[in-house]
Amino acid sequence: MKRADMITGIVLLVLAGYVMWESMQMPPSATFGPGSGFLPFWVGVILAVLAGFLVASVWTRKMTQKDSVNPFPGAKALLAITGVLGGLAAYIFLIEVLGFLVDTFLYVAFLVGMVERQRWSLTLGVAIVTTASLYIVFQVLLGISLPKGAFGF
Amino acid sequence: MDIFHNIILGFQVASSLENLLFCFIGVLIGTLIGVLPGIGPTTGVAILIPITFGMSATTAIITMCGVYYGAMYGGSTTSILLNVPGESSSVMTTLDGYQMARHGRPGPALGMAALSSFIAGTFAVLMLTLIAPPLADFAVSFGPPEYFALTFMGLTLVTSLGGDSPLKGLISGVLGLLVACVGIDAQSGVGRFTFDQMYLLDGVGFIGMAVGLFAASEVLVNIESPMQQVFTEAKLGFLALFPNRQDWKDSFGALWRGSILGFFIGVLPGAGATIASFMTYALEKKLSKHPEKFGTGVIEGVAAPEGANNSAAGGAMVSLLTLGIPGSGTTAVMLGALMIHGLRPGPMLFSTHPDFVWGLIASMYIGNILLVILNMPLIGLWVRLLKVPYTVLMPLIITISVVGVYATDNNVFDMWVMFFFGLVGYLMRKMDYPPAPMVLALVLGPMVEMSLRQSLTISHGSLAIFFTRPIAAVLTLVALLSLCAPLLRMMWIRYKPGKTAG
Repeated sequence: MKRADMITGIVLLVLAGYVMWESMQMPPSATFGPGSGFLPFWVGVILAVLAGFLVASVWTRKMTQKDSVNPFPGAKALLAITGVLGGLAAYIFLIEVLGFLVDTFLYVAFLVGMVERQRWSLTLGVAIVTTASLYIVFQVLLGISLPKGAFGF
Repeated sequence: MDIFHNIILGFQVASSLENLLFCFIGVLIGTLIGVLPGIGPTTGVAILIPITFGMSATTAIITMCGVYYGAMYGGSTTSILLNVPGESSSVMTTLDGYQMARHGRPGPALGMAALSSFIAGTFAVLMLTLIAPPLADFAVSFGPPEYFALTFMGLTLVTSLGGDSPLKGLISGVLGLLVACVGIDAQSGVGRFTFDQMYLLDGVGFIGMAVGLFAASEVLVNIESPMQQVFTEAKLGFLALFPNRQDWKDSFGALWRGSILGFFIGVLPGAGATIASFMTYALEKKLSKHPEKFGTGVIEGVAAPEGANNSAAGGAMVSLLTLGIPGSGTTAVMLGALMIHGLRPGPMLFSTHPDFVWGLIASMYIGNILLVILNMPLIGLWVRLLKVPYTVLMPLIITISVVGVYATDNNVFDMWVMFFFGLVGYLMRKMDYPPAPMVLALVLGPMVEMSLRQSLTISHGSLAIFFTRPIAAVLTLVALLSLCAPLLRMMWIRYKPGKTAG
């Protein structure tokens, strides 16, 4: 946890610096009163102070029970999370190519079959039922036009 | 007799067929979400925003509200039967509820949980009916300095009261303010932090962010620690659910104290149902003639927190509707939903949209009755639902989220926003950053900025304007004090070990 806090602290400091720099480039108000850079600049300052506190507290605090535990899970769980997120990225990327029906079916099948490692009959069942119920809710009941793929459905 | 007029108007709105149906659907989904561990009311409300997008504002918010207080009912079931709290607000119910179930009295525990939820929930709606209008009248006179002080206070209270580390709560809130700055500045037309992306000119989409931070990240956290399948063999007849006369006698005091305390904790911005249930449980233990019996299965240990969390849910609606300041993550998401529907919560809401406000309040009376009907005879059914494995739920939650986010604007970019904030939310949860302040800051951000800049324009740049006007001064002071509280706590913690060592 200590290392994680240290890294976030530094990342936040860099972010705060960027925000302040960017805010100073913004044009001043055309009338009197604060301009558009005013709030972001001060928010950046506050963020820098808070991140400074965070870094300082990591430095000075003694190792606590929580610090000795890595907040992130082991390789197996990490693989599952990467699977879900990677699959989601692919899903979003492909939804206008494959269309809602094919894309959703593939993603759910991937989640159940590959990430959760269930038997293929269950995988197929869940994928079909999920895709069908989402289609019914969004397209039929709510009348939203879901993306169609290159095949026309 | 204005109030009767208003309530009659409310029931006319709420009893239309459509609103009744969606009130029912809302409390049904809420009960489900409450029963299922691993999906909370905030996630439920966030997912519902896109689905209810096409409805009228009243119907949409009635549904979301139903989910919110419905989850308070449902959360107790698993707490009592399985020692697994369905929501954080029912953690305290496990202490005595589960012990009651183990000692052969699951029926009265469940029945008392449902009935005390009903009584306290109805009490809270009644209080809402009485308190909200005068509060709104009072707030009508607010100018920009008061609004800034109020929103500022809401932000600081939420950040400093929620979570273990106030510093991390503050960072989460400040990051939310930054996200709120993205897009075209409404006052000058300058684009800020848009990275030359056309889609960011409008700002970061609230729905994508809320669904990502709550729903997607919740799924990710649940994946890494797979939940065990837990069952109970308890057989529950309908009549076995009713607490006996002695139970009522024991719970009576706990119930009304829990209702009142819960309501006022709920009204406070920043403290929600969870804190309310913790505090009433502690209070009852202190007041009890036999405090040592708490934790061994006393019925007042179920009645107090279950009453309090429902009452707090009603109380949270007071500050949300009259001041536009949400008290918790769930109500912050609801505030965002209201704004999407073009309703700005705040004092004017009562005079500009009385049909909405009173319709919503009336629907909460109806919803509480529906919930008690749903929960008492059907408890066995809800327990069986626990057998639905997470394998089935997980893909459903994640796909319904992402498709819902797409559906509001038919825009793939919003899906990427959700993806990004799902990842951010996961990292935040892992490192103890509460996500609620971030969402709250995104919703309140534009209001904070506008009122701040207007105030400073009025005062020619002097900050004194926030201290010379009486209402603004009080609110600003409360905000500053709540900011100092964690600092003092940090200093105290550092001081204490030094003292014992020296």
